[in-house]
Amino acid sequence: MIGYILQRSLMAVPILIGISILTFAMMHLAPGGPTALLVDPTISPEAREAFLERYGLNDPLPVQYFKWAGAAIQGDLGYSLIYTGTPVSEMIFSRLPNTLLLMSVSFLLALFISIPLGIQAARKPYSLTDYSMTFFSFVGVATPNFWLGILLIMWLSVHLGWFPTGGVATIDAPLNIWDRIHHLILPAFVLATADMAGLTRYVRSSMLDVLKQDYMRTARAKGFREITVIYKHGLKNGLIPIITLCGFMLPSFFAGSVIVEQVFSWPGIGHLFIQAVFQRDYPVIMGITMMTACLVVLGNLLADICYALVDPRIEY
Amino acid sequence: MKAKTKIYIFCVSLIICLLSACTNSDLEQIMENEAEQQDETNSEMKATEETEEEQSDSHASIEPRQGGTLTYGMIAEPKMFNELYSDDSASSDVEINLFDGLVQVGPNMEVEPLLAKKWDISDDGLVYTFTLKEGVKFHDGEELTAEDVAFTFGIFKDDDYTGPRAGSFEYLADVRAVDEYTVEFRLSEPDARFLTLAGYGILPEHILGDVPVEDLGNHPFNTKEPVGTGPFRFVEWQAGQYIKLEAFEDYHQGRPYLDHLIYKFVPDQNALMSQLEAGDVDMMVIPATEIDMAQQWDEDGKIKLHAALGQQYNYMGFNLRLDLFKDKETRQAITHALDREAIIEHVVMGQGEIAHGPVSPLSWAYTDKLPRFEYDPDKAKALLAEAGWEEGEDGILERNGQRFSFALSTNQGNKVREELTVVIQDQLAEVGIEVQPNLMEWNAFIESITPPQNDFEAFISGWSLGADPDPRDIWHSDEIEQGLNSVGYSNPKVDQLIDKNIHLIDQEERKKVLEDIFVTIADEQPYTFLYYPYELTATPRHMRGFAQHPQLRFYKAHEWWLDE
Repeated sequence: MIGYILQRSLMAVPILIGISILTFAMMHLAPGGPTALLVDPTISPEAREAFLERYGLNDPLPVQYFKWAGAAIQGDLGYSLIYTGTPVSEMIFSRLPNTLLLMSVSFLLALFISIPLGIQAARKPYSLTDYSMTFFSFVGVATPNFWLGILLIMWLSVHLGWFPTGGVATIDAPLNIWDRIHHLILPAFVLATADMAGLTRYVRSSMLDVLKQDYMRTARAKGFREITVIYKHGLKNGLIPIITLCGFMLPSFFAGSVIVEQVFSWPGIGHLFIQAVFQRDYPVIMGITMMTACLVVLGNLLADICYALVDPRIEY
Repeated sequence: MKAKTKIYIFCVSLIICLLSACTNSDLEQIMENEAEQQDETNSEMKATEETEEEQSDSHASIEPRQGGTLTYGMIAEPKMFNELYSDDSASSDVEINLFDGLVQVGPNMEVEPLLAKKWDISDDGLVYTFTLKEGVKFHDGEELTAEDVAFTFGIFKDDDYTGPRAGSFEYLADVRAVDEYTVEFRLSEPDARFLTLAGYGILPEHILGDVPVEDLGNHPFNTKEPVGTGPFRFVEWQAGQYIKLEAFEDYHQGRPYLDHLIYKFVPDQNALMSQLEAGDVDMMVIPATEIDMAQQWDEDGKIKLHAALGQQYNYMGFNLRLDLFKDKETRQAITHALDREAIIEHVVMGQGEIAHGPVSPLSWAYTDKLPRFEYDPDKAKALLAEAGWEEGEDGILERNGQRFSFALSTNQGNKVREELTVVIQDQLAEVGIEVQPNLMEWNAFIESITPPQNDFEAFISGWSLGADPDPRDIWHSDEIEQGLNSVGYSNPKVDQLIDKNIHLIDQEERKKVLEDIFVTIADEQPYTFLYYPYELTATPRHMRGFAQHPQLRFYKAHEWWLDE
């Protein structure tokens, strides 16, 4: 097991290097740069030049890349070009907890809703329940996050006043768990919808296979209650492909959080990332991309380890 | 497809937020949607203004009430609180409440005293002596003295100063404290702009005096513990969420009526509007795309909508380096072919006034003598014929084998500008000119219209003008190689007049020179000046004491109060 983890970690190194080179190249290929925003005429060309010089933006690209990579390996992600003087790591770590909170809650929400739904659909395939589940799955997949988010804000927050319109907590209020949860419900739900829908479909088909297996019949023959049969014998086997899928879902959660954070004024890294892309804040773009890449690699590794835990046939 | 839509939506909201940059005394390219306002008809807007006046009259007798919190919603997050280093409007909106300057620009663009009681200008225009108000306190209780002023302006002249404002003070030779309340500025040459430049927020020498100037731009003072003499003092900044200020008890113009001022960051435009409707945000600038809704809420009594001419104009610029736009008859003909009244009516719902030249009607330098190129397609055709254009086989004009066809670029996501390109395309087709709208991402757009690239044919953009009408940055030929004269306008006579204007201390004399410049430029039409837009602000229904200012969103915020 340890050997496997080590091996996987080593494999992640070239992946991360590849991602960093690609991101770096694409970011510099995009037109404009951080100085494009300095359109204020009182900023003299000399000041602009000094800015470029100070942040090493006049160096050839490979030089810039190696400088960045050299520092990044030592844990120094550099300083923001726009919020001058603020370390990128400080910007990321002050917002990462918000994003992780939102993502993990949505993820759990997606699992807890879609697994029972998927099982239900699998138990009675081609029934009304199954068809309506299929219908809502497609609606869920097809609904853009930002649209759903705005719609829910307009309806549930503005008109009915049930939920706050955005943010992580009431401004200026002392830390209050209920207040935090209250703010979390809508964005977490919106972020969960797209993946929830897909996940339900996967659970359904996976369980459909499992339910036909001999051991299910055996379990029933032994006289176990139906619920035990389904959830203990069936689900454990049906989950195996789902775990792999969860690893793959991680990037889509990051992508989704970019949009959801924007709509719900959620101060996470997704919001920071969008801002950085438009302002061409190179060190922040690199920092967030690498952070996300590491988390995705880690998430996939975790999924593979869980795989072994659920399925005793698998050994590393 | 889904991803594309998402990205597009972000362009919309982000262009509004990131790209604004409007400090009190500067001019800059407007890229925010908020700059272009749309609304109903003019008369209706005036009606709004009138009722507003009536209301403020009827409440004039009521004693202002102290207390309450005002939440201002904004899309962009400020970068820092130090006017010497920040270059975005979000930062300015906070800075104006934290820092007072010697002077301030009033609603009619005239310079008003603030920390300075009065000032004297020597006859040769080289020495400015400011007398400070006595007993002005910084937020930490220290008294403001002439040393603080000398310290603040000394930073601009320091070789290690890396901020964006060094160029503004090229003629400042020396600044020194004469006594505790008198400060003297010596200029190397008379500079008529100097008074408007003297408005930068004064920094506390007792805190920053020992900091090397090269470290000032990144000093924690700028983001974590700003201390000024403004009406509100800094409480906290929750990154990505809000900034909170509280009333400064010892403010030199009296304690503000509001207890707290919160700047809330809502990155999405639609979400921001929802927050206004839900009352989670009390005050915001209404962007062009949302006027209908805001008007409805104003009628419903949810908010109060204020409208006033902004210190801005929108234009279509021509690349004068191209043969297509070389002669002024052709450019004048284009303007004649455009029905700008209809454009204002339909694109911005009447929320603007036709512009005739590169100066705002709000400025003292505005002149009625600007030549007007009214909507007249027949005259346009005649002028084009005069310029040698003849109708080609496909109905498009031709000259020396070149078809009159050009790409009209603008930044994608700014819906008003996107619509302008289409309307202009339509109207110019009437006289046989082909226009291809070309929507570009903001960074790409700016890169294409700035040196060294200058790779464009025509574009739509806007200028937010400074308090001082000096036209150098946009119109002097020195600004072509590296500057904002992106169309490449060059006229030796104008250059010479521009060089002269800033050295004329007598305003009447300067006004004549400026008039000459503006009339010449308007006659040559290097731009088609489209319109001066109105700016709209939503405030709480029950807020009193608010007066919309063409530049400063938080002008005299210490006089605002909530009547409830």
